[in-house]
Amino acid sequence: MAVTAPAFETIAPPAASARKRRYTEDQVPLGKMIWRMVAGFLVLAVFVLPYVIMFFGSVKTKAQIRSVDPTYFPQEWHWENYINMWSTPETPLPQNLISTIIISVFATLLVLLVSLPAAYYTARFKFPGRMVFLFLVIVTQMLQPAVLTSGLFRQFVALELIDTWAAMIFINAAFNLSFAVWIMHSFFAGIPKEVDEAAQIDGAGRLRVLFTISLPLVWPGIVTAIVFTFVACWNEFAASLVILSTAGNQPLSVALTKFVGQYETSWQYVFGVSIVAIVPVVILFMLIEKRLVGGLTAGSVK
Amino acid sequence: MKKSLRLGAAVALAATASLTLASCGFGGGSGDDEAGGKTTLDLLVPSYSDNTQSLWEDVIKGFEAENTDIDVKLEVASWDNLETLIATKIQGGEAPDIYNGGPFAGFVTDELLYPAEDVVSPETFSDFQDSFIANAEVDGTAYALPLIASARALFVNNALLEQAGVTAPPTTWDELLDAATKVSALGGGIAGYGMPLGSEEAQAEAAVWLWGGGGTFGDADAITIDDPANLPGAEQIKKMIDAGATQADPGSTDRSPLMDIFIQGQIGMQVGLPPTVGQIEENNPELDYSIVPIPTQDGSPFTLGVMDQLMAFENDGDKQDAITKFLDYYYTSDVYVPWVQAEGFLPVTKSGAEALSSEEALAPFLEVLPDAQFYPSTNEKWSAADAAFKALFGQLQTKPAQDVLTEIQAQVDAG
Amino acid sequence: MSTTSETSSIPAGAATGRPRPGGQGGQGNSRRPRPGGTAGEVKPRRGGRELLGALPWIGPALILIFGVVLFPAVVMFFNSTRDISISGLDKGSVGFDNYIEVFSFPYFWPIFGRTIVWVVVVVVATVLISLALAQLLNKAFPGRRIVRLAVIIPWAASVVMTTMVVYYGLEPYFGIINKFLVDIGLIATPEGYGWTRNPETAFAWSIVVAVFVSLPFTTYTILAGLQTMPGEVLEAAKMDGAGPVRTYWGVVLPQLRSAISVAVLINIINVFNSLPILKVMTGSIPGYDADTIMTMIFKYIQNQHKVDVASALSVVAFLIVIVIVAIYVRVVKPMKEV
Repeated sequence: MAVTAPAFETIAPPAASARKRRYTEDQVPLGKMIWRMVAGFLVLAVFVLPYVIMFFGSVKTKAQIRSVDPTYFPQEWHWENYINMWSTPETPLPQNLISTIIISVFATLLVLLVSLPAAYYTARFKFPGRMVFLFLVIVTQMLQPAVLTSGLFRQFVALELIDTWAAMIFINAAFNLSFAVWIMHSFFAGIPKEVDEAAQIDGAGRLRVLFTISLPLVWPGIVTAIVFTFVACWNEFAASLVILSTAGNQPLSVALTKFVGQYETSWQYVFGVSIVAIVPVVILFMLIEKRLVGGLTAGSVK
Repeated sequence: MKKSLRLGAAVALAATASLTLASCGFGGGSGDDEAGGKTTLDLLVPSYSDNTQSLWEDVIKGFEAENTDIDVKLEVASWDNLETLIATKIQGGEAPDIYNGGPFAGFVTDELLYPAEDVVSPETFSDFQDSFIANAEVDGTAYALPLIASARALFVNNALLEQAGVTAPPTTWDELLDAATKVSALGGGIAGYGMPLGSEEAQAEAAVWLWGGGGTFGDADAITIDDPANLPGAEQIKKMIDAGATQADPGSTDRSPLMDIFIQGQIGMQVGLPPTVGQIEENNPELDYSIVPIPTQDGSPFTLGVMDQLMAFENDGDKQDAITKFLDYYYTSDVYVPWVQAEGFLPVTKSGAEALSSEEALAPFLEVLPDAQFYPSTNEKWSAADAAFKALFGQLQTKPAQDVLTEIQAQVDAG
Repeated sequence: MSTTSETSSIPAGAATGRPRPGGQGGQGNSRRPRPGGTAGEVKPRRGGRELLGALPWIGPALILIFGVVLFPAVVMFFNSTRDISISGLDKGSVGFDNYIEVFSFPYFWPIFGRTIVWVVVVVVATVLISLALAQLLNKAFPGRRIVRLAVIIPWAASVVMTTMVVYYGLEPYFGIINKFLVDIGLIATPEGYGWTRNPETAFAWSIVVAVFVSLPFTTYTILAGLQTMPGEVLEAAKMDGAGPVRTYWGVVLPQLRSAISVAVLINIINVFNSLPILKVMTGSIPGYDADTIMTMIFKYIQNQHKVDVASALSVVAFLIVIVIVAIYVRVVKPMKEV
């Protein structure tokens, strides 16, 4: 991360200028603007609605959630659900949150570490097997998770890594590698070769070209890859269920199922934990949304 | 070229290093079973209620205090995931040492289990009620230890029946149909009889009706779903549906959400089991209800009994002593009775039954227990039959009864 | 793994919406964003030495893929030819019996057909709605930032939970959506309608949810494509006197081609592999009238404990998706530049 941080500054100015240009273009009549706002509001409502229902559920009591005469808004707001859920008998939620964070963060770092050079090289150099490699990478996405778990379990038993975070870090990284490679590959491919060549003529090594010239230019691609990988790891379920058996090692996605009893389900916690699980990801988005879309505009780097 | 090689090597090394680091730094630590000369027992159990995890933790804490050389590692899974999990573990050669589950005949066929008598002391074994042990026997040997039992009974909303002009709870199918139709006629979203034929527990509602009409699912030797004796029950279900005596879409209604509706007073009658009492207590204590035996075709007493069991996997065969110690500890009255009580089920030991005989909530169920019939769970094919009921039985709503039974039988035979 | 089971959308294709090198070249030839061919270049060389040179760069990725994915994949193929008992023990080889069981299952072809309908409807609807959404989000208006953020939420949330909430809303008696429909008089029965109790409506709602959770990624991909559109092109079109419709069809869409084609490819794979939505929405329905290949695999494993047959069906599914992708790639050529 330390290496890529300076890239921020490099890319930011063009992003800003690109946005400015767009806004000045959009001098539209008021009527049109209002129409857009109405449409925008409708879109907002549709996209937020399920999560509002989820949120309302999370502040109801178990009985209110299963009430046969549902109300649109909670009649009483049981904020204590958000406190109580951290100390339920079903699952050690604080540990589950920590697990989720550790697995997601390290898997994302590993993906970055491994896919960055692969993406760079496949985008920059022709070599026999290049297409085979890219195809192989995408094939990993076509396999059925439900059926793979049994093989994964056996494999990590043999490696004596069963029930460890490390196992889930590897698994998440391996299965999310493909799109990360693809994303960054096409970003690298988008950089004009002249940039590299100029640098190389200057006598810079390939490594230095990568880190000082190419990397800053593909920062939006890296961000996209990070977000994608992180979200996928954050919500992973199928493999975590079989690999992690100790309650404290399990991520939130598995912990959620603990609230589902044979005859009763603690829906208020299911919804509450889901909200808690969404928040960090949305914040992550909020922080980088500008770079994600704005950064893409910044592609107008020469 | 050289430089790129070096860089590549550096990256590869960094990757490897991070992998190694990760694996060292974040060991959850199950690989070291024998650390410090301790024996580790893996215990895989399903979640019965909110309390399951903490109830087991209490048991384990007490046990480990007495047996410092044994570690018990608990894993709780939801019922949805339980059987997938156990199959994965067995396939990976990592079966838990002790497992709490339903169907077990398949494990016996594959010779994976210790005989029950090998993993509990004679005293513990003789404390099990005979009828339950009989249900754990394959070819005369018990391979599973009864854990809990449940019996079904009809929960009746007294207020609704009264409102509909029904004076006494039904005891026969005709009376049930009549009463349910009248309650349904009250309107306003109220249903006479709650009939859950959805995938959650279709086999239970199927047993209630098919067996109540004199049918059977078969025995240890053969599964017989497509049997003329099962037809009256299936036809009666259709009659109930066609008369509008049930809630809408019975074929795809699951049991748990439906019971929530009964508890809130919107359903006249529904078959429930011991934990239902606790649920009503918790969610709607004002509900005016009674618990009566399940109506049958001719009014003769009958109930569906279900027994869950513990089983001990042999694995390497070196943990028999530790398993025996744990199970003996678990089944002592002081440990077992509070456990069963908290989960709200019926005890399977003689001492447990004695201790809980005065328990008022359980009385109606203990009363019908002698007439209980059980699933043919000692038949290896029962697991397939169970799955077929869940997947297909709800089609009764739309398909002819005979076709549905035939289809279920076909899937059982194919499995 | 997580990708296919939990998240159904990935921002991968966003990349393809990037501007072409140089930005100005080849406007007229919009079908080929990079007329120069592949970006990789620097003196084409041949032979094993190049592969060797590539290894340090792609090696770590290969190690990770082979180290983690290969074994389970091989196990899947292997299991599809074995007889595995319900408790999970391998009882030996049965050749292709499991495949015969898969294909002789009377509901297989309807399920196959439904899978195709599922993929086509979800992907087409997703792309069409995303095009409109992206168009809106690309226009300046007060509050746009917040709308953009809202559009991204379904992606941040796990697909299972989004589906659960919709399922909960649709339940008779308890559900808010049902209550709303009753309140505005669309449904006569006071307890609501059993949307998730009937195969047709449950399947239709599943499609709605699948489209909903696929929108964020697709929309953002197209949005990125729109934003990289050189302003000069649009202005040129305007000067030529082209109306907004003609400009969109003639200029904007062709420009978006590469962004859309990769987004579609990724959506096809993800939607085909999607299990949780249908599992939740149609889970309580008896019979096989709302199943796709994915839910059937799940039923083989979860209900019937037939890991062997499930593996065989997975292999079949794998081949189907490869064929679909191969056809797609042949026709649309989304990877042309990759």
